[in-house]
Amino acid sequence: MSTLLTYIAVHDGKIKRSSLEVLSRCNELAAELGWESVALVLQPDATKAIEGLKPYGPAKIYTMSHPHFHQHLTTPLLRAIGHAVKEIQPRVVAFASTEGSKDLLGALSAAHGSAALPDMSEFSIDTEGVSGKRPVMAAKILSSVRADGSPVFVSVRSGSYNPEEREGEAAVQELSFSFNDADLRTTLREIVTATSDKIDLSEAETVIAAGRGVKDEEGRALIRELADVLQAGVGASRALTEAGIYDPSLQIGQTGKVVSPQLYIGVGISGAIQHVAGMSNSKVIVAINKDPDAPIFEIADYGIVGDLYKVLPPFIDEIRRIKSA
Amino acid sequence: MIHFYVCLKQVPDVYAPLQIKDGELIQDSGRMVLNAYDASALEEALVLTEKHGGKVTAVLAGPEKAKETLRKGLAMGADEGVHIVTEEGSAYDSLYYAGLLAAFFRDKEYHFISCGKQSQDTDAGLTGSMLAQLLELPYATNAVGLTLEDNRLLVKRQGDHGQEMIELPSPGLVTCSNDMNEPRIPSLKGIMQSKKKPVETIQASSLTGDGIRSVTTLLGYEEKPKREPGQKFEGDPEELAITIAGLLDSKENLM
Amino acid sequence: MEDKFDCIIVGAGVAGLAAAMTLARQNMKFLLIERGEFPGSKNVSGGVLWGTDLHRLVPEYWKEDAGWERYIQHRRLTFMDEQSAFSIDFKSSHFQEPPYTGVVVLRSRFDRWLAEKVQEAIDASDYAMDSFIATDILVEDLVHDEHGQVVGIRAGEEEFHAHCVILAEGVNNLLTRKAGLQEAYVPADHMLTGVKEIIRFDQAVLEDRFQLHGNSGMSNEFIGYATNGVEGGGFLYTNRDTISIGLVLGLKDLREKNQKPYDILNHFKTHPAIADMIRGGEVVEYSAHVVSSGDNRVMPKKLSKGGLMVCGEAANLLLNAGKAIQGMDYAMRSGILAAEQAVASKASGDFGESAMKGYEKALNDSYIMKDIRNFQDAVHLLHDPVMTSKMPNLICDFGRNFFSIKNQPTKKSRAMLHDSIQKHASYWDLLKLGARGAKAL
Ligand SMILES: Cc1cc2nc3c(=O)[nH]c(=O)nc-3n(C[C@H](O)[C@H](O)[C@H](O)COP(=O)(O)OP(=O)(O)OC[C@H]3O[C@@H](n4cnc5c(N)ncnc54)[C@H](O)[C@@H]3O)c2cc1C
Ligand SMILES: Cc1cc2nc3c(=O)[nH]c(=O)nc-3n(C[C@H](O)[C@H](O)[C@H](O)COP(=O)(O)OP(=O)(O)OC[C@H]3O[C@@H](n4cnc5c(N)ncnc54)[C@H](O)[C@@H]3O)c2cc1C
Ligand SMILES: Nc1ncnc2c1ncn2[C@@H]1O[C@H](COP(=O)(O)O)[C@@H](O)[C@H]1O
Repeated sequence: MSTLLTYIAVHDGKIKRSSLEVLSRCNELAAELGWESVALVLQPDATKAIEGLKPYGPAKIYTMSHPHFHQHLTTPLLRAIGHAVKEIQPRVVAFASTEGSKDLLGALSAAHGSAALPDMSEFSIDTEGVSGKRPVMAAKILSSVRADGSPVFVSVRSGSYNPEEREGEAAVQELSFSFNDADLRTTLREIVTATSDKIDLSEAETVIAAGRGVKDEEGRALIRELADVLQAGVGASRALTEAGIYDPSLQIGQTGKVVSPQLYIGVGISGAIQHVAGMSNSKVIVAINKDPDAPIFEIADYGIVGDLYKVLPPFIDEIRRIKSA
Repeated sequence: MIHFYVCLKQVPDVYAPLQIKDGELIQDSGRMVLNAYDASALEEALVLTEKHGGKVTAVLAGPEKAKETLRKGLAMGADEGVHIVTEEGSAYDSLYYAGLLAAFFRDKEYHFISCGKQSQDTDAGLTGSMLAQLLELPYATNAVGLTLEDNRLLVKRQGDHGQEMIELPSPGLVTCSNDMNEPRIPSLKGIMQSKKKPVETIQASSLTGDGIRSVTTLLGYEEKPKREPGQKFEGDPEELAITIAGLLDSKENLM
Repeated sequence: MEDKFDCIIVGAGVAGLAAAMTLARQNMKFLLIERGEFPGSKNVSGGVLWGTDLHRLVPEYWKEDAGWERYIQHRRLTFMDEQSAFSIDFKSSHFQEPPYTGVVVLRSRFDRWLAEKVQEAIDASDYAMDSFIATDILVEDLVHDEHGQVVGIRAGEEEFHAHCVILAEGVNNLLTRKAGLQEAYVPADHMLTGVKEIIRFDQAVLEDRFQLHGNSGMSNEFIGYATNGVEGGGFLYTNRDTISIGLVLGLKDLREKNQKPYDILNHFKTHPAIADMIRGGEVVEYSAHVVSSGDNRVMPKKLSKGGLMVCGEAANLLLNAGKAIQGMDYAMRSGILAAEQAVASKASGDFGESAMKGYEKALNDSYIMKDIRNFQDAVHLLHDPVMTSKMPNLICDFGRNFFSIKNQPTKKSRAMLHDSIQKHASYWDLLKLGARGAKAL
């Protein structure tokens, strides 16, 4: 039987929603084809991380444990995934599209002499290979692509599919993994982690994005307050991450993160195509901008023309009132 | 004397109006530009070699017409150029270019190869790590800052949850984000000098090696599903705020 | 310091490119500087390049499938009131043979194509390695010698020297003013603003709708309701699979009537005659740009001084006398003339004030200045309120009566005209207009 393998990303012991989205899609495809959908978890202690995975019904969960998996270390990850591919012989290896998987996809594809399809917004599988669609030209249009052979390495944009629980008991199989530190070709000296993001941006149901219009501490405080009442994740445009006002991990857009929340509120953001590339799949888009000709209004469902410093306080109050009613 | 090779790609201008006709992508102006991420990679290499001494070679694989993009790299300040000439009008994927570049680099000596983190038009982001794999080089992707320390690159890499400081030995490969700098615009003098800088021209067909092939197929292009047109509200900020908050609650059920 | 150039041209619009092409062909060592990212990137234009000078620059350009959109075979001038359109329409197979009398161009494509042709000419010249087209560079100032003669330009920290400089910087002629050839402050009263949209169609639909075949095209100018009472006019040109539609509006009038160009354009597009033409199309681009009015009250006092010549719209060379906007052809010809003067000066070694005057003289003797002088009255007339509203209303009213058949005794056309005049303008207005019109055209 042919196998579809989903790589499960775990952060702080928690399985990333985007990985579950990909896994759910693979489950669905496997069911259609009569194939098997399996998952791979790489963690310092992988058995701990898999509880949250079981309800999402992969036929099998492969685990590898090694202290190196605590961080993103390129060489050990490449080795481990390479090893898993050899053991499992999957037709397709699917990832959620994250900086982590972007780091690996090309090398995996070259190492196996097979294709990579990165950042897909939808994909399907047949007996020959993988086909699907991915946004191009700063996400202005879609291209249809196809890759035959195996294994095909695929990564999927977050928000493309819904995570769905399903019945069935997953078998767990530990794969051995050893690593000689002499093989670490690069040295990770330090990790500077952003502490501020309480809510993971790429998984948030509501995202508040701040742009250059948010000029000062007062503006940031308003953003924070709005995020608090809506329990939203906070993101930013390049203008503000570059200025060091928001952490670079919070950048939304072509270079940064792709978000697809139920509600996106862009505050003081002009709507440059590279920013829009990262948020245009949001379900409802609200824009607050004092320039009536700002391009963001072209895609906003609700465009508020006004000064954010005047609009946000009553907006926050009103939401608070609605919430408490 | 540190020697950087920077890989430059010519890409269609994403700002130019485009249309899709029978599944084909047509750009009215057909305008091509230097990939923005590559411009940042080049800028950083120039800054580092200006500071520590060294040489920057720009490498571009593309059709004859793409030479103007290589010239731009030289006008920015690269010392010399390499043009690997591919066939006009052919569609190649990242693995093809990585294979081609690997064949070129195989017998070269260098300290670092620097690529853009992704192509601006396709956002693929594969070529860099493919090339590293083919050349068996250590690599780091998505650099947002580079420092040179005794022939080692200290790479500040933007990860999913924070930034990592990675020490990359030479020879090695790094892919650059454009979050790290503002690429210089060539000066008049730079433009004039670029014409006289050495450019080596190599026919792609003369480069051999296994793996110089495309493994993906582009089937066509289509429009993204259109968003329903939205509404723009102007007027008293207080009233607007209340109206919209109300709509988000009653109409969209988002509260 | 690099060797001196024979000439530095500022601005790679039509005028600058025409000058550059002429210099390259004449084996001159020159530098063409454009502040946009590429030639054409900053240029907005509705788009008919009239006349045959293009053929002079790029012989048999029509054999190339690049740069231009369609040749003009069909011309139409339309008077509008709120509901009606009365057109003078001319189509002729005379216009079908090259060299064409006019071609529609989209500047971002055309300028880039012409720049490529200039580069080819440079490559074929003795100065293949020493003449340059440099983009993304803003020329900030001119460099003078101790006698006040222009000897170069400054861009940022860099200074480059040349025997002469040609300013082809377009309507926003800051350097021309800095050089003291024009008042530093030009009142907006005599300036216009152009707004334009490009609307895309399926090519077959476009060709059917406008009755085009092959590369044939149509130009249509509009007077009246088009501008919603603001002085100015409208235009519609067919490109390959798009149309350029837009308005040229008086800045002063816009301000006084507190109207926005974009709103007027939208209003224009709802006119039944226009709505029928653009139905089903998709707007793919919108742009706006200042245009000079061609009113010689705002022309620079002088177009040259020692080491310096000004051409194209920087010299306010533009004519909008109702039946067409002529700016690009003037730009092209004046660029050629300035370059020819540079070539002559190189031969004589004289780039002084009187030598440069040779360019002004050539310009004066050319069709450009003749037309501009002869049609000044028409220009003033076109910007007269009588022309923007009363006259079109009158014509349309007449048309409506003339073409209606009501199963009633029909009045003689003369009487109909009388009625229309009574309604929309006085005989006195018309008399004035007639007299001025006769003089103007
Ligand atoms: C290859 C490439 C990749 C890029 N990737 C990204 C990316 O991933 N993410 C990203 O965001 N950008 C990216 N950019 C940059 C992008 O092009 C824009 O420069 C950036 O998004 C602009 O950010 P902004 O909208 O905050 O700022 P601006 O464009 O300066 O807009 C600020 C807006 O705030 C409004 N404003 C100001 N004051 C107020 C006020 N008091 N009240 C209300 N409104 C106000 C203004 O009207 C204006 O519209 C990329 C660029 C390139 C070339
Ligand atoms: C809406 C509209 C419709 C029109 N329709 C027509 C028409 O149908 N037919 C017609 O013949 N004309 C038309 N015109 C007029 C025509 O566009 C102009 O007359 C013509 O473009 C003038 O050419 P130019 O080369 O003098 O200037 P431009 O085309 O304006 O070129 C000037 C160039 O100089 C560059 N530049 C300026 N300053 C500097 C500097 N300091 N350093 C470096 N570079 C600089 C600019 O970026 C620009 O590229 C129209 C104009 C508009 C706005
Ligand atoms: N044809 C090419 N010539 C030179 N460099 C290239 C080429 N194709 C890709 N690259 C490099 O790889 C990066 C993009 O990879 P990708 O997103 O896979 O297309 C670019 O930023 C370049 O640095």
